[in-house]
Amino acid sequence: MCASKRKKANIMPVVKLYASLRKFAGTKELSMAGGTVRAVVSELARQKPAIGEIVLEKDRLAPHVIVTLNGHNITDLDAPVVEQDVVAIFPPIAGG
Amino acid sequence: MAGWSGNVLDIDLNSQTFTTYPLDREMARQFIGGRGLGARLLWDMVGPEVDPLSPANVLIFTNGPLTATGYQTSNRFSVTTKSPLTGTVLDANSGGFWGMQFKKAGYDVMIVRGRAEKPIWIEIKNDEITFHDASELWGLRVFALTEKLGQNNNRRNVLCIGPAGENLSRLASIMNDRERALARGGPGAVMGSKNLKAIVVEGKDRPKIEDPERFKFLLYETRKLLAASPLTSQALPEFGTVVLMNIMNNIGALATRNHQQTQFEGAEAISGEELTEKYLVRNASCWACPIGCTRISKTGKVEGEGPEFETTWALGAQCGIDDLPAIIEANALCNDLGMDTISVGSTIACAMELSEKGYLDSDLRFGRADQLASVIEAMAYRKDIGADLADGSLRLATKYGHPELSMTAKGMEMPAYDPRGLQGQGLLYATSNRGGCHMRGNMIGLEVLGLPKLIDRFQVQGKSSFVILNQNSSAAIDSLVICKFTNMGVADEYFARVLSAVTGIQYATGEMIKVGERVWNLERLYNNREGFTSKDDTLPPRLLTEAPGDGPSQGWVSHLEPMLKEYYRTRGWDQNGVPTKQKLTELGLVNLLN
Repeated sequence: MCASKRKKANIMPVVKLYASLRKFAGTKELSMAGGTVRAVVSELARQKPAIGEIVLEKDRLAPHVIVTLNGHNITDLDAPVVEQDVVAIFPPIAGG
Repeated sequence: MAGWSGNVLDIDLNSQTFTTYPLDREMARQFIGGRGLGARLLWDMVGPEVDPLSPANVLIFTNGPLTATGYQTSNRFSVTTKSPLTGTVLDANSGGFWGMQFKKAGYDVMIVRGRAEKPIWIEIKNDEITFHDASELWGLRVFALTEKLGQNNNRRNVLCIGPAGENLSRLASIMNDRERALARGGPGAVMGSKNLKAIVVEGKDRPKIEDPERFKFLLYETRKLLAASPLTSQALPEFGTVVLMNIMNNIGALATRNHQQTQFEGAEAISGEELTEKYLVRNASCWACPIGCTRISKTGKVEGEGPEFETTWALGAQCGIDDLPAIIEANALCNDLGMDTISVGSTIACAMELSEKGYLDSDLRFGRADQLASVIEAMAYRKDIGADLADGSLRLATKYGHPELSMTAKGMEMPAYDPRGLQGQGLLYATSNRGGCHMRGNMIGLEVLGLPKLIDRFQVQGKSSFVILNQNSSAAIDSLVICKFTNMGVADEYFARVLSAVTGIQYATGEMIKVGERVWNLERLYNNREGFTSKDDTLPPRLLTEAPGDGPSQGWVSHLEPMLKEYYRTRGWDQNGVPTKQKLTELGLVNLLN
């Protein structure tokens, strides 16, 4: 990823929400400002506190919450995001 | 004996007689029940000379020492047989109520041998066993038959086959409690080959518990653990298993159109969120289950259980179909006909690809939801094109000269998770003892969901240890027998405490996994004796050579070979995948070779 794309100003990646998160957001998808996954998730939590309670625990992802960036699981919340990126957030889910 | 009832019911259909005798205590201690006990008994009874659909094959129904005790999810039971689909050892297990009732009738094991001259059904009321003429029931579908024979969830439970089993489709399941299934590998065809239409049970005895006070405490503690887990208290009840559709699609590991792609543009339309919003009527649960993952869904035509994630995928994404009502209705049809939805869906998908490529003369096409019901009916009755599809995708694709288009491992259709984006899952499919299956261990927890911890899904080196632990754990839970979802809130080791309290036999921490390893190695020995070798531990060529052209798994194929070598070594097997004498000695299995 080139350095120029990492600039934080006006970056609005797409955030997709799944399962119970949708009812708290009232939507499946929104744009959220932030130059890193952490910034995006924090902004989402600020705008939608009910989602913040599910997704974050002391500034870290809550247990079993899954965040992907363009389909790849994120473990480092400081991963940079650019305009075209898709951040997907899943609450704890299971199945088989 | 506490926990176990201590009784085996042995039925000979040739003479329509039965005997009862005591369960071998040492065998029960070593293999516990369910899948483990079934595999051990099958080893002695069915050798390589036996055709799975001949009278010499047996059906072994087993429950476990926890069954019917009231422990959370202690409702499950197994059937073990030689699979007519794969030729491997087969066990399939199911929830609902029948397993609990069978245990209350006073039996740990029921062996069904031989073949009745005419269709019959069996009624069991504790020690009263009655053989009934089933001539007038032959041909009935599952829902009508279940009602006719008096299904009553807590008092009288019906297990039966539908038309698919009667017509010896190798995709036929055995159904219980109307819509629960011993689904995979064709056990319904074995039952059909025996002219056995149904087994109805009524029981009145609760199993003895050795330490009731301790058990009561463990029940309380388990209830707390399941309530505290967001997976068992919220995720599963709220959206059911089909909630996995969107995440598997998001990461590019949702097999699509017979594994030609790894993402499906219609995934959202067949997702758990969509099902919950538009078609969910209510939740339901099996006996003694506080989780309640079962979905009762409704369309304009049907109302019933499901569909589960794998069903929705097989009849949906795998066939390129994004019509959720059509999938719900096809699921109900499979249940009514008594068919395994995963294999049915994937076999139809294989036929669609064969047809689109001009290898099969049919009008089946990806995305044609309107074709689902008619082709499923045709499969169950072996009519028209259904005659070719009734025995699964490998036989179908082989007949038309393209076996490589069958998405199977050891002849069993694989589930939804595409191994190109999930390296560990691919190893798991290739080494599964009953063929392509996600219930003989499942790496999705580790590779996608972070349960208990996230590992790199593309990593190859070091994967075998995780796969082996998963497989051993799965074999142990299948031998107890309880629902694997319980394990999302309660650790393996905890079950040793429950088992000890119920049976009075002290199972040490770690012993559950050892039981699982014993069962896994026994099943491997069985398959080796049947002629399976390391060459059978493989995946379809498409998954080994054709990388997805786009999406998050772009450029990846399954790197099976290095994982397999590591797997054999870590298992304590030789380079040909045969358990070593040292390993068999360690597991108490070496005497089986004599």
